[in-house]
Amino acid sequence: MSETLLEVKDLRVAYGRIEALHGVSFSVNQGEIVTLIGANGAGKTTTLTSIARLPPPEAPKVASGDILYRGESILGVPPHDVVSKLNVALVPEGRHIFGNLTVEENLTLAAYPRRKAPASEAEAAFKTVYDLFPRLAERRRQRSEQLSGGEQQMLAVGRALMSNCQFIMLDEPSMGLSPLLMQLVFKTLRQLNEEQGMTILLVEQNANMALRLAHRGYVLDTGEIIAEGSADELMDDPEVKKAYLGG
Amino acid sequence: MDALIQNIINALQWGSFYALIALGYTLVYGVLLLINFAHGDIFMVGAYIAYFAAVFLLGGHGEGLGLPPLLVFGLTVPISMILTAGVGVTLERIAYRPLRRKGAHRLYVVITALMCGLVLENGNLALFGASRKKFPELVDKAVYTFGNVSVTNLKIMVIVAAVLVFLFLHFIVTRTRIGMAMRAISWDRLAIPLMGVPVDTVIVFTFVLGSGMAGLAGILFAMSYPILDPYMGAIIGWKAFIAAVVGGIGDIRGAFVGGFLLGFIEIGVVAFFPSTLRDLFAFTILLVILWIKPTGIFGVARTTKI
Ligand SMILES: Nc1ncnc2c1ncn2[C@@H]1O[C@H](COP(=O)(O)OP(=O)(O)O)[C@@H](O)[C@H]1O
Ligand SMILES: [Mg+2]
Repeated sequence: MSETLLEVKDLRVAYGRIEALHGVSFSVNQGEIVTLIGANGAGKTTTLTSIARLPPPEAPKVASGDILYRGESILGVPPHDVVSKLNVALVPEGRHIFGNLTVEENLTLAAYPRRKAPASEAEAAFKTVYDLFPRLAERRRQRSEQLSGGEQQMLAVGRALMSNCQFIMLDEPSMGLSPLLMQLVFKTLRQLNEEQGMTILLVEQNANMALRLAHRGYVLDTGEIIAEGSADELMDDPEVKKAYLGG
Repeated sequence: MDALIQNIINALQWGSFYALIALGYTLVYGVLLLINFAHGDIFMVGAYIAYFAAVFLLGGHGEGLGLPPLLVFGLTVPISMILTAGVGVTLERIAYRPLRRKGAHRLYVVITALMCGLVLENGNLALFGASRKKFPELVDKAVYTFGNVSVTNLKIMVIVAAVLVFLFLHFIVTRTRIGMAMRAISWDRLAIPLMGVPVDTVIVFTFVLGSGMAGLAGILFAMSYPILDPYMGAIIGWKAFIAAVVGGIGDIRGAFVGGFLLGFIEIGVVAFFPSTLRDLFAFTILLVILWIKPTGIFGVARTTKI
């Protein structure tokens, strides 16, 4: 089995005094696509913002447990270093693109972790992103708030790629997308995983799509993991079927 | 005609001072949504730093370095800008950042800024007393006359400085990564660290720019009106703040347009009415502008600023 990249150990986190995760444990191996599925309010976003080390009030405080990346605790790592030093990127729920910046400015800013690298590196990253999403290349000079929802999601993924990440976490990337666009985004994720060996942690409410893409999965329910296994196992699990796959 | 040109030059000079100070309010507001009410007093501190630097470098009475005035001028400008930037960053560090960390409500941060300004004023008063300081002459005054219009080299310098600062800041904000981060942070603070950008770096950089330019305004003002007192930053600071709001706070173009607009209105009023009516008229006009467009000239409803 390949190296464990991310390991979340018995994680308890709280917003103020309200605990949102009650001892969550899971792991992601190098080169894997792992999905975290669960209903609205289960704690999926909370899990990802905890790993990204975002500060309160948007993200919770860790009460106990640990988050290990490549075997080392990252609880003391500031969020910008999670991106620029550990090369872990988060495509947040709701995309959070900078609407007052152009598409290209969004991508340029996202290449900040590469600012000390030779310019050719950032250029290569631009090329990768624009090849992956030709729509973004067409609209590079547009203010990004004018993009459609699908294009904004492409931009959000593109920004993560600009940062030179090796591990990418996505929070409900399919939200608000048409089925066609959803498929495009998922196809891109598979491509990234197969061609570049990108490790992916995918959070989804759309369990069907997610399990078809992922190798393994975990089911989160009100702050606890209630099921885990390979994607196939989860798809066949009668409980999971009933609760998350519509029968 | 001559009187008109003369007035335009004076308006440009005053507009330059307002603009240089206004952009400090606007930059910090764009990034933090904080009205840094200490900024006028940072300008005052800038003028005092320039004074002490210049007096020390000029020497005399057997003290100081005894350098030639022009060289002193060349050194005092960067010294005042750097040290004043340091004052701004220090305020950020010891006063605003801890409140931000604790998630304090904006009201408390604004009150803190007001108090910081008062501390700077009264600290100055306690340290150096109430007596006014006379700023030494660093640049030989040259007056160029065209017909009945006369322009001093100082006025030209002030106006040129404001234009250069505008071009410089415009370049920073539109072309550099840190400038993009400054614009981006006003749109979405949460996503900034997700880009690998430390939020505090952006904030410190903003204070460096704003306070540095207040330091530049401080030395230019002290050279133009060479009497310094601890309260010199209060009124001009309020006016620059209002100029920034009328221009559309958060947008650097707004700071310059608002600053020059205020300069022109003030000089325009004085050209026709007794000078005691200046502020009354000026602020009435600005009020009307805000009444028509509450977000300011360059403002948009959403906080997409700088
Ligand atoms: N910023 C916040 N402050 C307080 N409570 C929050 C915050 N964000 C989420 N919660 C709570 O934490 C729980 C998990 O939410 P979340 O992680 O957003 O779920 P999901 O992403 O699975 O929909 C919910 O009960 C939600 O109300
Ligand atoms: Mg969520």
